[in-house]
Amino acid sequence: MGKKRSDIYSVEIHGTQDPEKTDKEDEEEKYKDLKGNKKKSKKTEDLKKELDLDDHKLSKEELEEKYTTSISKGLTSARAAEILARDGPNALTPPKSTPEIIKFLKQMVGGFSILLWVGALLCWIAFGIQVAQGVASAFDNLYLGVVLALVVILTGIFAYYQEAKSTNIMASFSKMIPQQALVIRDGEKREVSAEQLVVGDMVEIKGGDRIPADIRLIFAQGCKVDNSSLTGESEPQSRSCDFTHENPLETKNIAFYSTTCLEGTATGMVINTGDQTIIGRIASLASGVGNEKTPIAIEIEHFVHIVAGVAVSIGVLFFIIAVSMKYKVLDSIIFLIGIIVANVPEGLLATVTVSLSLTAKRMAKKNCLVKNLEAVETLGSTSIICSDKTGTLTQNRMTVAHLWFDDQIYSADTSEEQTTQSFDQSSQSWAALSKVVTLCNRAEFKPGQENVPIMKRVVVGDASETALLKFAEVILGDVMGIRKRNRKLAEIPFNSTNKFQLSIHETEDPNDKRFLMVMKGAPERILERCSTIMINGEEQPLDRERAEAFQTAYMELGGLGERVLGFCHLYLPEDEFPDTYPFDTDSMNFPTSNLCFVGLLSMIDPPRSTVPDAVSKCRSAGIKVIMVTGDHPITAKAIAKSVGIISANSETVEDIAKRLNVPVEQVNKEDARAAVINGMELKDMTTEQLDEILINHSEIVFARTSPQQKLIIVEGCQRQDAVVAVTGDGVNDSPALKKADIGIAMGIAGSDAAKNAADMILLDDNFASIVTGVEEGRLIFDNLKKTIAYTLTKNIAELCPFLIYIIASVPLPIGTITILFIDLGTDIIPSVALAYEKAESDIMNRRPRHKKKDRLVNEQLAVYSYLQIGIIQSIGAFLAYFTVYAEQGWLPNTLLGLRVNWEDDYYNDIEDSYGQEWTRYQRTYLQWTGYTAFFVSITIQQVADLIIRKTRRNSIFQQGLLRNKVIWVGIVSQIAIALILSYGLGSVTALNFTPLRVQYWFVAMPYAILIWVYDEIRKLFIRQYPGSWWDKNMYY
Amino acid sequence: AVWASVEFLGFLCSLGLGGLSVCLGCFVCLVFFEKMAALNEKKTCSQRMENFKRFVWNPDTGQLMGRTLINWVWISLYYVAFYIVMTGLFSLAIYSLMRTLNPYTPDYQDRLKSPGVTLRPDVYGEGGLEIYYNASDKNSWEKYVTTLHKFLSAYNTTAQHANINCTSEKYFFQKSFLGPNKTKYSCKFTSDMLENCSGLANSTFGFPEGQPCLIIKMNRIINFLPGNGTAPRVSCTAQHDDFSPLELQYYPVNGTFNLHYFPYYGKKAQPTYSNPLVAVKFLNITRNAEVTVVCRVIGTGITSDNPHDPYEGKVEFKMRIQD
Repeated sequence: MGKKRSDIYSVEIHGTQDPEKTDKEDEEEKYKDLKGNKKKSKKTEDLKKELDLDDHKLSKEELEEKYTTSISKGLTSARAAEILARDGPNALTPPKSTPEIIKFLKQMVGGFSILLWVGALLCWIAFGIQVAQGVASAFDNLYLGVVLALVVILTGIFAYYQEAKSTNIMASFSKMIPQQALVIRDGEKREVSAEQLVVGDMVEIKGGDRIPADIRLIFAQGCKVDNSSLTGESEPQSRSCDFTHENPLETKNIAFYSTTCLEGTATGMVINTGDQTIIGRIASLASGVGNEKTPIAIEIEHFVHIVAGVAVSIGVLFFIIAVSMKYKVLDSIIFLIGIIVANVPEGLLATVTVSLSLTAKRMAKKNCLVKNLEAVETLGSTSIICSDKTGTLTQNRMTVAHLWFDDQIYSADTSEEQTTQSFDQSSQSWAALSKVVTLCNRAEFKPGQENVPIMKRVVVGDASETALLKFAEVILGDVMGIRKRNRKLAEIPFNSTNKFQLSIHETEDPNDKRFLMVMKGAPERILERCSTIMINGEEQPLDRERAEAFQTAYMELGGLGERVLGFCHLYLPEDEFPDTYPFDTDSMNFPTSNLCFVGLLSMIDPPRSTVPDAVSKCRSAGIKVIMVTGDHPITAKAIAKSVGIISANSETVEDIAKRLNVPVEQVNKEDARAAVINGMELKDMTTEQLDEILINHSEIVFARTSPQQKLIIVEGCQRQDAVVAVTGDGVNDSPALKKADIGIAMGIAGSDAAKNAADMILLDDNFASIVTGVEEGRLIFDNLKKTIAYTLTKNIAELCPFLIYIIASVPLPIGTITILFIDLGTDIIPSVALAYEKAESDIMNRRPRHKKKDRLVNEQLAVYSYLQIGIIQSIGAFLAYFTVYAEQGWLPNTLLGLRVNWEDDYYNDIEDSYGQEWTRYQRTYLQWTGYTAFFVSITIQQVADLIIRKTRRNSIFQQGLLRNKVIWVGIVSQIAIALILSYGLGSVTALNFTPLRVQYWFVAMPYAILIWVYDEIRKLFIRQYPGSWWDKNMYY
Repeated sequence: AVWASVEFLGFLCSLGLGGLSVCLGCFVCLVFFEKMAALNEKKTCSQRMENFKRFVWNPDTGQLMGRTLINWVWISLYYVAFYIVMTGLFSLAIYSLMRTLNPYTPDYQDRLKSPGVTLRPDVYGEGGLEIYYNASDKNSWEKYVTTLHKFLSAYNTTAQHANINCTSEKYFFQKSFLGPNKTKYSCKFTSDMLENCSGLANSTFGFPEGQPCLIIKMNRIINFLPGNGTAPRVSCTAQHDDFSPLELQYYPVNGTFNLHYFPYYGKKAQPTYSNPLVAVKFLNITRNAEVTVVCRVIGTGITSDNPHDPYEGKVEFKMRIQD
């Protein structure tokens, strides 16, 4: 029993130094992996050198010699400047960014741009040929080419601007206040910018400073550092100038760059700067990890391929048809241009960008800052979240979680905003315990924070004392006042040999002249010194029964992964210890045994209060949440249980073994839903074993993992075709953040390395914001589907005119310029408006989409848009075209085969169906009227298309016709633009619009209604017969 | 009146059928592209081929291009039905459109506010209408003469046989259909009205003499009343008056279009209607020089200042006669 007890104790208190061998091997493993990670050979060499780091073993003299410096006087300024010139500034090289011009050019050739460039080129070729032939209308082609080129360039600039904007947010975000360091140079202390530090500099550090470089400590006093960003542990680490461990990462006399000095002072010699520091190496590991294409980028690429494939094949097909129909090659080229322009949704990619950035803005409002626009959607398709524990799931501060007194365990409130504690405080034992807690504590609030909520006040002291201080302040109020009234006479601070802390006080009761001795420390050490125990305010002998009760409580709290402290006191008898008794802490001239045990307090870094809810939401959204932490398995498991990553009724293999009382090996692994895997085990695992774990267990916790192992875990998840999100704040998380499909860094607690590697930053460090992100991501995926369906539909209505024109030789129903006005004019705002559409059903209750099966643009979507709605639209528009021509004198049958005469510039008296004669210009003007009518009809039908695209399954009336106001803005804008083009700009001949007779606006209306009705029927059948042939073929 | 001719119904049917076949083709293509785009992953060529083969024919599931045969039949049937309904709807719409149209006059004449004017012979060169010839070279002017003869053949007595003689100098309004087969009468315009330029007395229209006859024709517009009671007339001028002013002879006298040819009631009401003509004989064209001539029809309601339309109310042409 006793052995086990101390096990728990040492696990909890000596968290970081725990199985030393493990750690050492872990680290070695880490660097072995780093080397193996096929980096440039230079990097590998660097890492090798790191292993050779022996500065911690050297004596002061040897160090002085090695770095040609002086411990007392430091470097000379001249020497420092020399080294600075050699090594470069002490700062991390920012990750290599693509040159702006390359980014810009990428926008120019990405997506549909190539196709449009081809179109523009063809235009210019046609122009060249026509000029040579002396054709009067040759310049039309030149202009069209220029317009196409402009379209590409403008959309490219737009996309570039959007991207640059989101990058800029980041740039301003990562800008830091330049750090100062106190350095000894030329024998005198001076403040220099941390960037100016060089190897060999002597620097002084005090509590609160960030360590400015990797430092070998020469002198240290009560120095503690927070290594959590490096190792993921929230325990402060003490630092001294003694060489304690072979491994440079383990030894106490080295402090690492970018970690924080919590308390004490130290002087050290800089041994590594900038990218050479440990942090720098991990950061460069992160930048070496390739950036995966985001899922939405893959989807858009897929979609571009479909559209481009259709455009090119129809273009080529009709080019061949045109040539074989004895059209001139030049004419065929012009047809080809028309087909390309009609087929390419020019405005769509810009629309997608806008939609994404709108969502990004919305998410930023909810504290999710998105660095990379495309990452907006990634969260929506995420199927596994690998979350760091410290700081992400937990509050990253010790808090009192449980108390044990009067033979009973009480729970304390651990939420972020506690103002009161509600456990039973009436017992006299509590009064005694609270006194010990208050007095036996060296932590103090920094002055001047009276108006700050207790939980947010800054405290000078270590983590557990801080927790106790705040706990006491919340319950008793004015702890400092109580301490003043109970003056402290003597004190023995905590040290690792005796593992207790003791102080002696006067009491505040003026009638009680006794001194009160209070003590806290490792529970079993405290218990050893006690002979009585306080029950209900009365001292009772500490018999076997009581001791066992203590053990049970201690075990239970320890099993919760909490750090347990024991508290005891003793009133020193007045006669033996009079007023003037000289307490001497060195000789301990006072009793330290036969004390009275008062109670236990246990502390933990508690989960954030919003996390359990967020985790369960992720669960119901089909997202697996895996905890990956550098912390200990017991703590990790406890936190995992309390936040629901391991649900209440799940068991690990070990749990089952314990319950059934059989060896672990005999347990059927498939019975266990949960698994807690230690970094040690992970190290020995093959890829297949890891895969097996990831597949078989739905609730997994990885503890004691190194940065490299985090990377392995992420890769393992990605092998399961999962889209992996990684959350983290520490430098140790940054490689995994980079490797993940979406890396999410913490905005407040996160290190810069983590923020740099991440795609998204949670400004409030709140895991719950991820749920918002998932929701927004899924919504935007659905809405982009709608946007694309909406945009693709009209492409058929734009394409058909060309096909009919070629085949039936009718006057051209719609011109290329007019098509551009639809694609880049009337359709833009409505397609963005679809991004504002609310979800159709609870999107958080369905599984994440499958990366390879649930495509953004699938067969159904393309076929339904192109071959059904698109065809109805074309028919409606053609009806308007025939109506205009018929009412102006050209009956449909006259139009057939008319093209050659119609377009003959020298034929100025062509007879129409009524015998009237038309000049070329009169015909052209009528042709433009036809364009306008066709354009207006497409616009009108696009209104119907817009409305039907609001939903994919539900009826529009279920969704609410008026709920999305932006849609109506879109509709109004669409019609307004059409009105302006027709009536406002109808006189500008270059635009090919004419003022249209009012009734022509209504010709396509019945078809618009037909589209709506047809789609309602489609949706009705989909809802009525899920899984049917109809559902499979008609649901996109 | 079934205005939608058999030809057009045929067109609709072929459109429907053509559309159907094109769409089914597109369908297969779309499915194909969808799959091909999905295949765009890092794979070796043989893997791709293997995947593609599997896509075309999957023996395990009996799927042809991603669908079982029966599924293909169903989807085809659906599309056949869909397109039949769509073609039907379209035909119905066109049919009702035809029903609403007036067979005699178009509903609107938005683009025919002012008639176009054309020239005969209509021979176009690099820069528009060009009458370039060598007076002594018969080959160079013969084509003009042939064109004119051909054009005027519609105005010989036999061709104009069905039309009535009109003498009134006023618009010839006809409210009811008094002509044969429920038509309206058209006035005779015979080539002899062009006198010297009729091609009857001088069958070469004065080309070899260097005094060519050109014919100006005004486009027909239904119910158009030119001149507001006064007969519109043709007036030709040289654009750059570097040379001596043009000496011209117009036929009929004064170069007027007699009002009794207006209004025009349309092809159905006046199947035998012929446009009145004005012939212009150029008497003093400077030899061996290019003369740009503009012939306008002058009369109220006829505009000739549209900057976009060079043939509205006027016709411009170049002449060069060489010795």
